[in-house]
Amino acid sequence: MNIPVDLTLSLVLLSVLFSFGSSRLPGLIKVIAFQGVVVSIVPLIIGHDMTAGGILFTLATLMIRGIVIPFCIYFAIKKVAIRREVEPIVGYHASVLAGLGLIVAAMVVSHRFNAPSISASVLLLPTAIALLVAGMFLLMARRNAIAMVLGYIMMENGIYLVGTTFSVRALHIVEFGILLDVLAGVMIMAVILQNIKQTFDDVDTALLRTLKE
Amino acid sequence: MVEFVFLSPFVTGVIAFFIPRHLGRPLLVFTGALHLVLSVLVWLRQPEPLFKSYFAVTPEGMLSLLVISLLFFLISIYTIGYLKVSDIKSEHIFTGSMLLFLSTMTMVTLSDHIMVMWIAIEATTLASAPLIYTHRTSVSLEATWKYVLICSVGIAMALLGSVLITISMDVGNVDAPVSFSALTAVATRLDPMWLKAGFAFILVGYGTKMGLAPMHTWLPDAHSEAPSPASALLSGVLLNCAYLGIFKTNKIMLAAGLGDFSGLILMGFGLISILAASTFILKQTEYKRLLAYSSIENMGIIAFGTGVGGLGAYGAMLCLIHHSLIKSSLFLTSGNILLGYGSRLIEKTGSLANRMPRTFVAFFGGFTAISGLPPFGIFIGELFVILGAFKAGHYISVTVLVVSLCAIFAGFANQAMRISFNMSEVTIGLTEKANLVWPQYVLLLTSLVLCFWIPDTLYQTIMSAVTSVEGGF
Repeated sequence: MNIPVDLTLSLVLLSVLFSFGSSRLPGLIKVIAFQGVVVSIVPLIIGHDMTAGGILFTLATLMIRGIVIPFCIYFAIKKVAIRREVEPIVGYHASVLAGLGLIVAAMVVSHRFNAPSISASVLLLPTAIALLVAGMFLLMARRNAIAMVLGYIMMENGIYLVGTTFSVRALHIVEFGILLDVLAGVMIMAVILQNIKQTFDDVDTALLRTLKE
Repeated sequence: MVEFVFLSPFVTGVIAFFIPRHLGRPLLVFTGALHLVLSVLVWLRQPEPLFKSYFAVTPEGMLSLLVISLLFFLISIYTIGYLKVSDIKSEHIFTGSMLLFLSTMTMVTLSDHIMVMWIAIEATTLASAPLIYTHRTSVSLEATWKYVLICSVGIAMALLGSVLITISMDVGNVDAPVSFSALTAVATRLDPMWLKAGFAFILVGYGTKMGLAPMHTWLPDAHSEAPSPASALLSGVLLNCAYLGIFKTNKIMLAAGLGDFSGLILMGFGLISILAASTFILKQTEYKRLLAYSSIENMGIIAFGTGVGGLGAYGAMLCLIHHSLIKSSLFLTSGNILLGYGSRLIEKTGSLANRMPRTFVAFFGGFTAISGLPPFGIFIGELFVILGAFKAGHYISVTVLVVSLCAIFAGFANQAMRISFNMSEVTIGLTEKANLVWPQYVLLLTSLVLCFWIPDTLYQTIMSAVTSVEGGF
């Protein structure tokens, strides 16, 4: 048991529920930003011996996941000034209920795995699984293109959480490369979002259905 | 100094964003030539990389590198002619992205560290996204959106898979660098459960990028909407790069004694891809999408062959090389057809044999080659895959494979005949300049020559790549 880590991770789980329930895009972006911050401070408190480089890298992650990426998306919204609804395919109440079910399922499933480095905290693996599946859920259950990008970011947060326990072995330069890729990906998505808005006057992905067999 | 091969196009790519078009076009060809020279030097000298923990020169990487380099050089010559006759508004973005795309793909072929491989493959997605949106239409925007989102999410799965492989090191108490070569050496000590999970995620992730069904949905859209030189690069080499990720992970699986597991999954995905391609090719109405589905078919054959192993793995490697040469030539030719007829629909084309005779030669030659007719390399490759599957006793799946191949041939032949010989009253808006047809001829001839005569060094490299996945005669 590791109380501070588990407390922090329970905040992440809460953010999943909030994101499922929020109907407005600015709210959803705030939840994702909060999640990014919390996920990036996990390595600081999980109890690895931190080198100066490690702390620097964690701070860089915090900056990018918690501030730069959400701001990218936020400016994309500002510039295109779209109707700020997430246009759900699955309703909000059903989504929150699904979120609860997902967290319970993630807890049950993760007990069946055993890996020494994961057992540092009870909640680490369940949270990571929950984030991955929740990101997938947002990608599928929202028609708004911005909400879909946010779902992708949530998935990335989940993968980061699994990967972070191995930061002892992984080299910071490599981790930083991954982070830069994610950042560049989100920026390109933001540019495409602006173009979609200019071309279709909306970011509802139901409009993006011309190409099919 | 292997790193120089991918750093040089990166530098010229960044420069290309800021210079006017009359300088950008020569820069494209110059970089192509420089890259080819550097790749040949790497091939001959096999120098040590500067950062040994991240990069390595492997036989399969060198094969891909040489194919990429040759293709890019020829495509860059074609692109000059193509840019002169098509109106692309922001040409500096196009040239810059082409060069960055080349740089990232080269990085894939040289990377050895699992995470660096992931970074490079994700970077190929990002560098090629602007290429698909070159025409600035709403449809191309939709294709770009699909491409970036589906591939990013798919490749995120591969990142998860890579992380799971590091967990398998952790559980097995292995202390080694996280590189493909080091992991292959200590594969037996890795924890099999986590390794299997890692392989499954990596296959789904890189399989998305490679165009394996059912994750292939972005591929026909992206290939048909991108300008033809970019489609040729996407189909000819990008798919190979994604395959390289799967190939190297499969190598770890085989070394760990889990070859049955990985082979079965690879064969499954391969068969599904071939089946999916055959259903869509039969009733296809656009010729660029037809070619795209044919790429899915060929990737399916390659995955199937790799899964079969033995003779099949050798056949898969042959298919990989020849598919790159032939399919990129076909996509360049489809660019001529599009410029000439001004439509992507097959019904709007016709009488290609009379109207554009030089393009017709390239198109028909490419069609014969990609359908697996002798004397082209795909024929030999497919033959080895089928023989290998028979030898390994997969009778049912190989029957499905052969039947689908017949259906694909029938569908493709039907459409190719319509394009070539149907009556058409359209006036052709293109004069067939030499640099719009010669690159295709060279590509097809290279494929033809390689069937009859393989240089010894090339043959040795292919064999050492194939034997590393327990293939060969």
